[in-house]
Amino acid sequence: MANFNIDAKKEVTYDAIVIGSGISGGWAAKELCEKGLNTLVLERGKIVEHVVDYPTMNLDPWDTELRGGLTPEQKAKHYKAIRSGWMGTDTEHFYADDAANPYTEKKPFLWLRGHQMGGKSLLWGKQTYRWCELDFEANAKDGYGVDWPIRYKDIEPWYTYVEKFVGISGQALGLPQLPDSHFLPPMELNCVEKHVKERIEKSFPGRNMTIGRCAHLTVPHNGRGQCQYRNRCNRGCPYGAYFSSNAVTLPPANATGNLTIRPFSIVQSIMYDDKKGKAIGVRIIDAVTNETIEYMSKIIFVNASALSTTQILLNSTSKRFENGLGNDSGELGHNLMDHTYRVGAIGSVEGFEDKYYKGRRPNGIYIPRYWNIDEKSKNDKFLRGFGFQGGGYRGGNAANIEEFGPDYKDSILKPGPWEFFITGFAECLPYHDNKISLNTDVLDKWGQPTLTIDAEFKENEKAANKQIQEDAVEMLEKAGLKNVQGFDEEHPPGFGVHEMGTARMGRDPKTSVLNEFNQVHAAKNVFVTDGACMTSSSCVNPSLTYMALTARAANYAVSELKKQNL
Amino acid sequence: MDRRNALKKTGLFAGAAIVTPSLFSLLQACKDEPRLSWKPLFFTDIEAQTIATLVDMILPKTDTPGALEMKVDIFIDTVVAKGYDENGQQDMRKNIAKFNEDCEVNYGAIFTELNEADRIKVLKNEEVASGKFNLSIWGKTIGEQKPVGFYRSLKAMAIGAYLTSEEIGKNVLNYDPVPGKYEPCKPVADIGNKWSLG
Repeated sequence: MANFNIDAKKEVTYDAIVIGSGISGGWAAKELCEKGLNTLVLERGKIVEHVVDYPTMNLDPWDTELRGGLTPEQKAKHYKAIRSGWMGTDTEHFYADDAANPYTEKKPFLWLRGHQMGGKSLLWGKQTYRWCELDFEANAKDGYGVDWPIRYKDIEPWYTYVEKFVGISGQALGLPQLPDSHFLPPMELNCVEKHVKERIEKSFPGRNMTIGRCAHLTVPHNGRGQCQYRNRCNRGCPYGAYFSSNAVTLPPANATGNLTIRPFSIVQSIMYDDKKGKAIGVRIIDAVTNETIEYMSKIIFVNASALSTTQILLNSTSKRFENGLGNDSGELGHNLMDHTYRVGAIGSVEGFEDKYYKGRRPNGIYIPRYWNIDEKSKNDKFLRGFGFQGGGYRGGNAANIEEFGPDYKDSILKPGPWEFFITGFAECLPYHDNKISLNTDVLDKWGQPTLTIDAEFKENEKAANKQIQEDAVEMLEKAGLKNVQGFDEEHPPGFGVHEMGTARMGRDPKTSVLNEFNQVHAAKNVFVTDGACMTSSSCVNPSLTYMALTARAANYAVSELKKQNL
Repeated sequence: MDRRNALKKTGLFAGAAIVTPSLFSLLQACKDEPRLSWKPLFFTDIEAQTIATLVDMILPKTDTPGALEMKVDIFIDTVVAKGYDENGQQDMRKNIAKFNEDCEVNYGAIFTELNEADRIKVLKNEEVASGKFNLSIWGKTIGEQKPVGFYRSLKAMAIGAYLTSEEIGKNVLNYDPVPGKYEPCKPVADIGNKWSLG
């Protein structure tokens, strides 16, 4: 791939500035560049060029001194993110430095950040689901939050548009609560998963189990290679087999010749001109030189990740917007949501000891929502719904076996027992008092205010989690699993890494920050299309919806720009 | 392997040399002991010998290599030296000392000086007494993890070190860095040992 142009020019007024290069920023850059806009992408961290900057992609455990383990220095650098349980030496370099970028947890909250080109698109789970009509109607129906200003029909063509480019593998089911994407061939269930699926679907009419729908290619697609089943995705995929900005959206943006990406650019604020009544550019701090620099543009896409985007807006004060850009409603920073995480059940499966699989499938199973989708499925204990992810595999923990010596040693070389688990993801309602705010007492390495996060799951989420665990245990027991064990890790928000809200879309400028095209109501040349824009949280993974909203907003922005409306 | 023989001799020699088998006197006597054939980064010789004897009993040589051949003890020393913070290191030190103290109280000598029958008794007892790990999903254990004893933790480290050693990972387990495709349901007999990469 050609080198990226990193030479940003102060004297140039760009057509567009995109803040952030993760899942939504990459899409904004691609769409705007392809539509002919001279586009500057401001990236907080380093350049990560596809393949070239994946230093660990082919390492085996014995290739690193601690075989994947972190040093005390690395643990200190990531003292917050390490709680996720995901990080090792193979991926440590793609997680932000918590010490240099502090945040304050008024209540426990895990905020995972990826400060590099590609952002968290290098690290995400790749589960890819369309939202459904129910999701966009939910707030209006039960009165929590404000009504979405769009419906499924508004976003459907854009789901189609991004899916065809990204490549989503999955099985079509025709379910209204989980609309099908344009699918590449699905990955396969293993024999235990097929067995459990049959039993669950037989015992619980209306419940389905399917292979995860994911942004992994099962066949070559748009010049990218198919998944090789290494399951080393988070190190960066040399085949470009999963969706990341680095492999998928930024290369075509670069190919237009319209892209400049400036690394090490800490966005301080968006500059708003009171006389012109619009934003005029972005002020950054160079992370290396500490120099403050201003870049001008006609339109600005804010895609810094949900919380960082709102942090920038809150820090962008002017005479017109004393409490943050676009904060006429007072809702900026509020209505933070995430999905509940790690509550479900696990058990062992007997009768398949002579079966095994080849390849490390970077995907599991999915059980779509089945509560509160119609009158018949109404559940009085909680509003909205949840879905399950999970999977079957040969696991076990050899250290727990009460044996040692020659026979024991030989036994641990053989495949362990089959285990199967499901874990629920419940929708979180939008609550005004789940919020973030600027903290001027704790500054980051560059002297900028940081965030205080004050959010919690409340009664509805707890009730949903209770149902998740009960259902999970019941389904696994009915499926004939042994040693079925329910669990609820009672994780606070953030562990799901689906943070949404804090600059929500809505119909009314008095109660929302963004309109139906993701424009800041009172600063129409500023667009927010990452997780911050979300009005509700659904129970399915949100990334595909960010992609679709971004492509839709970019298309609108360019047409408005051409009409000279911005 | 020479190192294993050296360790056995060390054990015998140490047993003969110690008159008062208290840990304190042992530590005092340390400088007079024969040295290990490798230089630990963190462990004292006695600690290293304790770990080596343990991992050798848990994962001995059969027709496949044992833990000592795979330098599991040396790797554990590296992990404690470079992967643990100071608290973790001190805990490890205390845990080994406590383990040896218990051996002294119950069997009259530190672990490496016990005869094989007593060492087996120690391990059998630890297997029952040392606690278990909860199951884990997606990188973390689930449920309330009760404290796990030194023995179980060490056993887990030994297994991890053994299975991620290059010889075992590449030549004993099934090494397939680029599977190319997913075959969801194959007879175990067609594959043999488990896959080496998680």
